[in-house]
Amino acid sequence: MKSDWYASSPVTINWAVTNKCNFCCRHCYSRSDASEEPEKQVLLDIVKKLSEAGVFSLNFGGGEPLLRKDLLEIASYASQLGIAVSMNSNGFLIDEKTAVELRKAGFKKVGISIDSPRPETHDEFRGVRGCYQKAVAALRHLKAAGIETSISSVICRINIKDIGGLIALARSLEVSYLNFHNFKCSGLGFTNKDELDLTPEEWKEFYIYVAGQKALIKDLHISLEDPIIASLGHKDSNALVKGSVCGKLSLNIKSNGDITPCGFIPIVVGNIISDDLKKIWNNSPVLNKMRGKTPKGKCVSCDHYSDCLGGCTARALALTGDMENPDPHCWWNGDA
Amino acid sequence: MPGLNRFYRNPDAMWREEDGPKELVLQGLEQDRDVADIGTSIVLMNGTIHSLNILGTEIWKLCDGKMLDEIVSALKDIFDVEQAILEADVNSFLAEMKGLGLVYEK
Repeated sequence: MKSDWYASSPVTINWAVTNKCNFCCRHCYSRSDASEEPEKQVLLDIVKKLSEAGVFSLNFGGGEPLLRKDLLEIASYASQLGIAVSMNSNGFLIDEKTAVELRKAGFKKVGISIDSPRPETHDEFRGVRGCYQKAVAALRHLKAAGIETSISSVICRINIKDIGGLIALARSLEVSYLNFHNFKCSGLGFTNKDELDLTPEEWKEFYIYVAGQKALIKDLHISLEDPIIASLGHKDSNALVKGSVCGKLSLNIKSNGDITPCGFIPIVVGNIISDDLKKIWNNSPVLNKMRGKTPKGKCVSCDHYSDCLGGCTARALALTGDMENPDPHCWWNGDA
Repeated sequence: MPGLNRFYRNPDAMWREEDGPKELVLQGLEQDRDVADIGTSIVLMNGTIHSLNILGTEIWKLCDGKMLDEIVSALKDIFDVEQAILEADVNSFLAEMKGLGLVYEK
């Protein structure tokens, strides 16, 4: 597959259906976003539009998606149209009854955010006392309801010493996936980056450690999804696109319908309510620039560029103002 | 008997043809260019997206309960390839798809 290949329309949509949230996370990327939310019928029309564009999967996020009262109805409609629905939630509102309702609405996968195996650390980071126990209970309810579960952890200063603990927690709860999300400097993540983000060398150590664990552990799928690991020789030969998947396989929709390349890039390329999705996908100058990045700085002489394509575009843009600059998390200095 | 088995797409797999690349491939075939590396459809299953080239896409579409010889025969109408080579390609593709759980036979 050519490195500049991208799908003819988005395969996956990440949809922040609401910006309302019952948590106060220190790294939240959407806290400062507009709170405007269309009515249910508008959302149902959006789902139809996504289906007609050939979208395979729809991942609800936010905010806390369960604070949108009509979420189940919207998800159920998407399922009926053949779209696979999933969700990322903090788990606080998922009891036994809700888990069953989610299953009935067609949710096959639900990810719950847990950032530390230490309850007090997770609670403090997420800003709600007792939320760790609620998250763990949610995972058990979801599993009992027949929904595939995952834990999502944002890697940062608060948990970098507890990666082994997170893996052990995921295995003890028998989740299918443990998704390690690299820290993004967006929203409050930008405000608190000096306190929370790791150094490039620390990121390198983290990825080397997790890659070793991935090779050893067979009962848990550990996901990293950071293009910069290409410099460690971790190339996914099955990967459909090189570099970041944003704008090549996936798009993000904000609660007011605005479309951005991903949840962490604050550039609006259109609006799903008023615009034609395929036209945006194929003609947006921003998306086209992301698909055809020109290497800059140290990327120019890096042998790994053809695989990582400069790493995470969102991080480069947030910290340098230029999406084509090298990913600030990248540790490569010409020796590796 | 293997030759009498019928091939089916896994119903859990989601798939679609990619219009843009398909046009590119059809143009390439007319100009006798190598288009084997260009994906003309994508298949999603268990969180993994697979890309199929033009031959793979056509075989995939024929996995609706057809037997091997029916698939090869249908492909002969589309591709100007020797029977033996086509059979080998189809067998190889189906073996790979079965290994990935994307196709089953019964």
